[in-house]
Amino acid sequence: MNRGVEIRALTKNFVLTRWSGFRRSVSEIVAVDGINLDVPAGQSVALIGPNGAGKSTTIKMLTGILHPTSGEASVLGFIPWRDRRKLAYSVGAVFGLRSQLWYHLPPGDTFELLARIYNLRRPDFIQTRDLLIDRFNLGPFMQTPVRKLSLGQRMRAEVVASLLHRPKILFLDEPTIGLDVIARQELRDLIREWNHNDGTTVFLTSHDAGDIEHVAERVIVVNHGHVVVDGAVDAVRRKYLGSKILRVQFHGTPARIAMAGVTSLSHSEYEWKMQVDTTITPVGQVTAAVLDAGSVADIAIEDPPLEEVIARIYSGDRREESS
Amino acid sequence: MRSSALRYGWIGYTAARSNMAYRGEVLFRSSFLAVILYIFMRLWTVVYAESKNGRIAGMTLPQMLWYLVITEAVFMSAPRIWAEVDQDVRTGRLAVQLIRPLSYTAGHLSRAMGERVVRFAINLIIGSIVALFLVGPIAMSIRGLAMFAVVLPVAFVLDFFGMFLVGLSAFWLESAAGIALIYSRSVMLFGGMFLPLEVYPDALQPVLRILPFASMVSAPGRMFVNPSLALLKESLITQGVAVVAYAGLVSTVQFIAFRRLFSNGG
Repeated sequence: MNRGVEIRALTKNFVLTRWSGFRRSVSEIVAVDGINLDVPAGQSVALIGPNGAGKSTTIKMLTGILHPTSGEASVLGFIPWRDRRKLAYSVGAVFGLRSQLWYHLPPGDTFELLARIYNLRRPDFIQTRDLLIDRFNLGPFMQTPVRKLSLGQRMRAEVVASLLHRPKILFLDEPTIGLDVIARQELRDLIREWNHNDGTTVFLTSHDAGDIEHVAERVIVVNHGHVVVDGAVDAVRRKYLGSKILRVQFHGTPARIAMAGVTSLSHSEYEWKMQVDTTITPVGQVTAAVLDAGSVADIAIEDPPLEEVIARIYSGDRREESS
Repeated sequence: MRSSALRYGWIGYTAARSNMAYRGEVLFRSSFLAVILYIFMRLWTVVYAESKNGRIAGMTLPQMLWYLVITEAVFMSAPRIWAEVDQDVRTGRLAVQLIRPLSYTAGHLSRAMGERVVRFAINLIIGSIVALFLVGPIAMSIRGLAMFAVVLPVAFVLDFFGMFLVGLSAFWLESAAGIALIYSRSVMLFGGMFLPLEVYPDALQPVLRILPFASMVSAPGRMFVNPSLALLKESLITQGVAVVAYAGLVSTVQFIAFRRLFSNGG
């Protein structure tokens, strides 16, 4: 049984020493403040939060690079800061801003090196490598030095490099940064597919709501070292926004609707897009009014974009802080 | 044990291959060696004309030029390990590297050795062509070359430790570049790169011999032109002491630096 991640009262304080002339002052910054989390094996989790929220510190403790001030963590049954080298065999990582590929060599050379570093059995390595090359469509670039690859091709190669040893946990830090829309979508699909098919637990940190929406099934929002929100992506969106987007197409020009909590976002002769504050007027009531307003050709009720949810959570957190 | 050797050996092999991608750049940089050797040839010709028995520091003019070929090839083949470590610390890349099941020091050592072997080989080829053209060959033997082949890798390892220590200073300093400059000039001046140690004042020579710099540069140079069992023994003892001292220093400094990293982040 592949165990996931268990965190109990994990705390990390950083000691800051300042010198003013010959006088030394020591202060403490609480980066992670008693976090409790359980992530079952195979789950894909987005760990998000504003800069300085404590995401990276948490990830570094989970990979054994940082030792906590107090608390406990178990990753795949290992205590990360005690068993860092052992844990490393089961962990993969992709850092969007830091390459693990050898810049002047084709990706295949890095893959060969990683096979030795992770002590992979040759037949296993070849099987996984070929599968990944095929799935991530790297075949045409396998003989091209990394420096000549496009960013999208390079990032696909980065992800392949981090999956060669079939890690049980994959840490992704801004994996789509700098990619164009298509390359971004491709990479998200591939990560999600690998998560589903191989059962790899995915920890994603990203400022891109699209990454979270497409890759993660659960979102954990961290701020000031605390878990502020933890839930399924859809549930979080519903809970924290309390609004719906209603997109309606009419056969003819509809009558105007004026209801409390309904804001028009765009309006043309045959199409109307509106935001409904469901805490004021239920979406069913608005839908009924729309059907009365004209002959409806098509109607769609959508959740608002995750960016808005995240922005609202962050701003709510700031409001709490200032009050 | 075998898998560890394979793992670190493969890092060295990959580094060597990666460096071959720079063939043009390495060749261009090495061509500077030809200019240096030509200038030194002219200088030493004048100096040797003044000498009574045609020998300086126990070497003839051709031997002196071949000594310079080796010391220059060794010095110019040094990869910028200190800059790599400095960047690892400064940019947080160190954290990424620690996610791998590798020793940070051994990983860098393997990489440095791989890079250095390629650069040294290219330098040696260019230097040898120039020396053959200017002064012709010197007497060499398989036994002498074997002794040289023993001393040379230890010299590389010693230089690696020195540069690695300089790089680790980035944990405490804004930049390791200043210390790197002092280190590189120390290797150049006190290691016997331009001038054999015997040319230095008598009072300074014993000090220079116990400093690790001579074991990095002068030892392989002397072993190439004047190999002997006595010199091999002397070189290996000095190099052995330096390796043990450096390894101890590196592990202590790295322990303190990593404790700082583990408790306060990268």
